[in-house]
Amino acid sequence: MKVLLIVTEKLPVPAVRGGAIQTYIDGVLPYLARVHDVTVLGVEDPELAADERVGNVRYVRVPGKIFGVYEKHVLTFLAKASSRYDLIHIFNRPRLVQGVHQKAPQARIILSMHNDMFLPGKISHEEADTAIQACERIVTVSDYVGRRVVQDYPQAESRLRTIYSGVDVQRYNPRRHRDQVEQARRELKGRYGIEGRNVVLFVGRLSPKKGADVLVRSMWHLAQGHPEAALVLVGGKWYSDNGMSDYMAYVKALADRCPLPVVTTGFVAADEIHRWFWLGDVFVCPSQWEEPLARVHYEAMAARLPIVTTARGGNPEVIVHGENGLLLKRPEDPRAMAKAVGRLLANPSLRQRMGKNGWRLAKSRYRWRRVAQEILDVWENTP
Amino acid sequence: MAMPVGPWADRGYPNPDQMVPPEVQAAAERVMARYDMNVAGMTLITAKSDKGGAIWKLETDQGPRSLKLLHRAPERSRFAVAAQDYLVRRKARVPALVRSKKGRLYSQAGGKLWIVTDWIEPLRPVSKVDLAGAQELCYGLGEFHRRSRGFLVPRRARHASRLYKWEQAYRKMAVKIGWFRNLGEVYRDVPGSQALLDVVDKFEAQARKAYQRLQASPYHKLVQRGESAWGLAHQDYGWSNGQRGPGGLWIIDLDGVAYDLPIRDLRKLISSTMEDAGRWDVEWMRGMIEAYREANPVRRQVLEVLLVDFSLPNEFYKNVKEMVFRPVEFMGTELEPVLAQVEASETSKWQALQELAQALGVGKA
Repeated sequence: MKVLLIVTEKLPVPAVRGGAIQTYIDGVLPYLARVHDVTVLGVEDPELAADERVGNVRYVRVPGKIFGVYEKHVLTFLAKASSRYDLIHIFNRPRLVQGVHQKAPQARIILSMHNDMFLPGKISHEEADTAIQACERIVTVSDYVGRRVVQDYPQAESRLRTIYSGVDVQRYNPRRHRDQVEQARRELKGRYGIEGRNVVLFVGRLSPKKGADVLVRSMWHLAQGHPEAALVLVGGKWYSDNGMSDYMAYVKALADRCPLPVVTTGFVAADEIHRWFWLGDVFVCPSQWEEPLARVHYEAMAARLPIVTTARGGNPEVIVHGENGLLLKRPEDPRAMAKAVGRLLANPSLRQRMGKNGWRLAKSRYRWRRVAQEILDVWENTP
Repeated sequence: MAMPVGPWADRGYPNPDQMVPPEVQAAAERVMARYDMNVAGMTLITAKSDKGGAIWKLETDQGPRSLKLLHRAPERSRFAVAAQDYLVRRKARVPALVRSKKGRLYSQAGGKLWIVTDWIEPLRPVSKVDLAGAQELCYGLGEFHRRSRGFLVPRRARHASRLYKWEQAYRKMAVKIGWFRNLGEVYRDVPGSQALLDVVDKFEAQARKAYQRLQASPYHKLVQRGESAWGLAHQDYGWSNGQRGPGGLWIIDLDGVAYDLPIRDLRKLISSTMEDAGRWDVEWMRGMIEAYREANPVRRQVLEVLLVDFSLPNEFYKNVKEMVFRPVEFMGTELEPVLAQVEASETSKWQALQELAQALGVGKA
């Protein structure tokens, strides 16, 4: 089949500037392009060509950043496309569906949903109805994302299919890179003066949704039983390009008084991130608000880390409480968070067992090959 | 490519809000050359060094004009510029945009948008001491809102809207008041922390209750009318951005406009007026709302939401939120007078809201 993937207007593919959707596409493309003739249409980037072929994938990159601009270029591309696409797979932009369908009425349309783009304010009810009608399938990254769509649009239910995202398990697997793991631990712990400490690891942006503040507050409780622990906030930084947000200021004000060391690493490039996972003893995902399902869970599992996560959004779908991690029913409670983290820090064999279970789960269910196979099933319309 | 323009507050200039750095001055000169005018003089009126914005008065052969460097991202500023142009075409009293030689409504330099507009003069603030002045401001605001209806966001602009975000904003306020408590606890040794801890529960509860009231209010139903049907709120309206000029009240500094329920502006104007007076006065509030409704006759359901919006602890939040940036200094020296002021008007606020609800016939506050 001739297949066109349409990405969002925000970040380019490949994921040279990060992005969960872009990482997802990078992960599955090699498998998809082996079977079908794939073109990726996405936003332009100063470091990437406007039209290029890499391996057997064609990348077309058009102006974007603002949705309206991007939409115009996407539709122009389709109008001018010399050949017809059998299938068009649109990522997280239901608002593109109607226009794409008009320009390419012969193509089957698949829509992938990575978060709440069907919410009021993101799309009008009429537009959403038309988009759902035009889609053969709506693929979601968690059951939670699907449930949110069905709440407002019950007619979408029969079209939904959850396909969990994936991870390059070998890249994160510490057993595979023993020397590098030792080196990363020495180097990174040395850089921040936390040698000899157990590391509680957080990876993500410093935003109220992600809950780093609750995690920092849990350190007061953790310090009582575990004075040897340290908290590392990977990707976090106190200042952004737009100065310091009130949230960052708040977390920093907490960290300044924290009884345990709190370290922020600043931006970490995508090809470096696995080294930071090797630093951790316990991984915490303290999401406070409903999240679609944070990618970091897969990465932590691949890195054989026991996970403490919150019962928010899609997060519980990949954690079996007591098997590969611990689930917090009250995400806003720092004491309960400290208790869960402390339980793991106090028990190395429990950590190891959970890490191993997570690793097995990642290997069997969350590899890119499996994600790609499920996408191919959808494309080829096999139930 | 010339140097990008950004904030200059932290560069060690002695009076950063009364100057612009050389690259900004250079960009301003490039921009002015793109307009059909001979500039005989330029005076910096004010600068926002922490954000990277500035406004000049220009003396030109075409008369006095203003040059403004819009500090926001260019996509966001495009929304504001298009809105201003729409309002001018709808005969709202906002300064008309002057087109560049190429016929554009704005110019780009240093990675930001710049606009040239008419300089409206004379502009005089309305009286702050009598109700008539406040009513003039409210009437002008109502006109502005009415004429902003029907605005459609241009394709290349970032969609700026707060219409659907009220619940989120209410929730956030409650959450952030919780932050104040947590800092008060962590910094217990700092004088002032106890005074904060003494009142924080009360204001947090107010925010939560306001959130529940918003959910039970006609808000949901109202916003379904859509963004363009409601039009724009100014988002930074008050005694300096609304002034008396030729033909009536002029509204300036439109760079923050966004789709919203219009009464958000009215609520802010009334709250800050009451706060400045140190006492909430139901006669003033009624007078201001009446003047507003004369120009923009909003329905009772909208007034219900207005009352809900008053019930947020806006005054406490606005005056204390600074503490997250410098907790020790703020709690130690600034917090107590702020709390005293908020507390002082608290009783009259709730009394006034109750009376207002009765007077407007929109259910209890």
